[in-house]
Amino acid sequence: MRHKDRKNMLLQYATALFLILILNFFLPRMMPGDPFLILSADQENEVISVLTEEQRQYFIGYYGLDRPVYEQFINYICSVARGDLGESIYYKVPVIEAIWTRLPWTALIVIGATIISTVLGVLLGLFSARHREKATDKLLIMGLISFAEIPSFLLGLIILLAFSVKLKIFPLAGAITPFAHYSSIFDTVWDIGYHAILPIFTLALTQLTGIFLLTRNTLITVMTKDYIRTARAKGIGDTLVWHRHALRNALLPVVTRVGFQIGMLMGGAVLVENVFSYPGVGGLLRSSVIARDYPLIQGIMLIMAVCILTANYLVDIIYERLDPRTASFEAA
Amino acid sequence: MSCEPVLRKRDAAIWASIKASINLAAKEAAKYAYFIADSTKKAEDLIGRFTDAGKMGVAGLIIIILMAVFAPFITFYGPSAISGDSLEPPGRDHILGTDELGMDIWSQICYGARMSLVIGLAVALIAGLGGGILGLMAGYLGGNWDKALLRTIDIIMALPNFPLLIVIAAFLNPSIINVILVLVFLSWAKPARVVRSQALSMKKQNYIISARLQGASPAYIIKRHILPEALPVIFVSILNISSHAIVAESGLAFLGLGDPTSKSWGMMLHYATSFKSIYFTPYWQWWLMPPLIALVALLLCLAFIGRDMERLVDPRLKSGR
Repeated sequence: MRHKDRKNMLLQYATALFLILILNFFLPRMMPGDPFLILSADQENEVISVLTEEQRQYFIGYYGLDRPVYEQFINYICSVARGDLGESIYYKVPVIEAIWTRLPWTALIVIGATIISTVLGVLLGLFSARHREKATDKLLIMGLISFAEIPSFLLGLIILLAFSVKLKIFPLAGAITPFAHYSSIFDTVWDIGYHAILPIFTLALTQLTGIFLLTRNTLITVMTKDYIRTARAKGIGDTLVWHRHALRNALLPVVTRVGFQIGMLMGGAVLVENVFSYPGVGGLLRSSVIARDYPLIQGIMLIMAVCILTANYLVDIIYERLDPRTASFEAA
Repeated sequence: MSCEPVLRKRDAAIWASIKASINLAAKEAAKYAYFIADSTKKAEDLIGRFTDAGKMGVAGLIIIILMAVFAPFITFYGPSAISGDSLEPPGRDHILGTDELGMDIWSQICYGARMSLVIGLAVALIAGLGGGILGLMAGYLGGNWDKALLRTIDIIMALPNFPLLIVIAAFLNPSIINVILVLVFLSWAKPARVVRSQALSMKKQNYIISARLQGASPAYIIKRHILPEALPVIFVSILNISSHAIVAESGLAFLGLGDPTSKSWGMMLHYATSFKSIYFTPYWQWWLMPPLIALVALLLCLAFIGRDMERLVDPRLKSGR
């Protein structure tokens, strides 16, 4: 039931995106006040220039606010499609540029966390499934489940207090050492990795449990299948059966899970970046919230939404490719 | 003088009505007493079947609720009263010390519990019950209602929650009501979907079919048969939604999008982490740690209760198997 045909899926994601665009368009227009009542208030001299009716009409015409709402909306959609998200009030640069300079840092920790949580989750899941109902298995489940209940930014604060403030092993803030001179490319990579490790680890921990439980439970189900018995009957060694026959087939749901957690990771990254003062999009968001830089807030949210929707859509397609049964079942 | 009998008559009438209403109230009270006793007994039975972690969760949750309800009696200062020096360490006057503005941290923690609990409870009740009932009706009535609801659920579930929450909170003024409304809008879809599929499968049960054949209306069947069966599932989703809502509220507040006039744990985290040299001074120990511990404790309690409830409602969902 969950995987519908591709056209339906696309329609669903497109509608979600459209809803977001509508929201982005109407939210500023729903705010009280008229932007043309006071156009400029000079901070130093406290001179407030009030527009004359003539000037007012000019500006309303200039910004296209005298047009019907639907026309304004179409204009808005067109400019978004062109990548024009307006100008940041605080940074005085185009919104898209402000986001673009910060996006690599966010991508780094989100991708890093995805890789670490997936690899570690699958390995731990395999280990746990092979040692099912033993003390290590139970301990692992208890520990990881408790971690999963703590939201990422609280976990990040705990990790920051423990490793950076108390033990002083890792840096408190930032993505690179300020004013550092790197002697080689290796140094650069080391410094970036050293700063990124805590945020990545925090994000990975929040997603680890899901992957771990999924791998473990799927493996346990898969191991009861007939082809596993066949493989064993052929005299294949235990390790090979687990790795080659069982794990491969158990990875399918993991792929979907990894894709869908990208959305959660991006939401988490916004908060975690602020915990570690990491210079990604999340940090940008907090400073734009504090500065009430509305175009920037809207732009960030739009970019994030598009990333998440695209990731989820791609996962739906990949899943269909990986498991042809889902497509044929629906057709039948 | 002549009006006396009239008065007496009226008095009698009033007396009679008072007596009647007292009788009625007594009867109602008896009914409610039975209901309360019954539900306490049920709750006791339920908690009796919890694991140790679940029992701890219930105990912790009760402590936090008591802290919130009796906040004025267990604190010595108002949460926004400047009652001491700036950043006093924990001591005799201030159990947990004071923050940058000299406000008592212990009382901020107690009053902050109210915020978290109110947001969690309100969002979960409205979204859980509303979504659940929508799902029930769609699942039971089927047809175009069902299709329309499924479509809406799919779209809502596809919406990226947190970015949306941030942008709406940034534009609307960040009052509690607005945060609650947005969270309700984003979280009703899941219980609706779960309950809908349950209603779909129950619809085909023989006793429902026979009730329908005897002429019971859909409203009656939903109220009498399907809703009671679906309530446990709705209850589990209420628990889940409430912890999501608490996380979302504190996350927003942490970003600086909370209600600045309110004292919530997320706002405390926001002010503490905004303080420039918080990590280079010992202040974090009594300014940052209490709200952090309180939030983690509350969320863990809710999670433990939720996991046990899930296990009891549907044994197949048992995760550690």
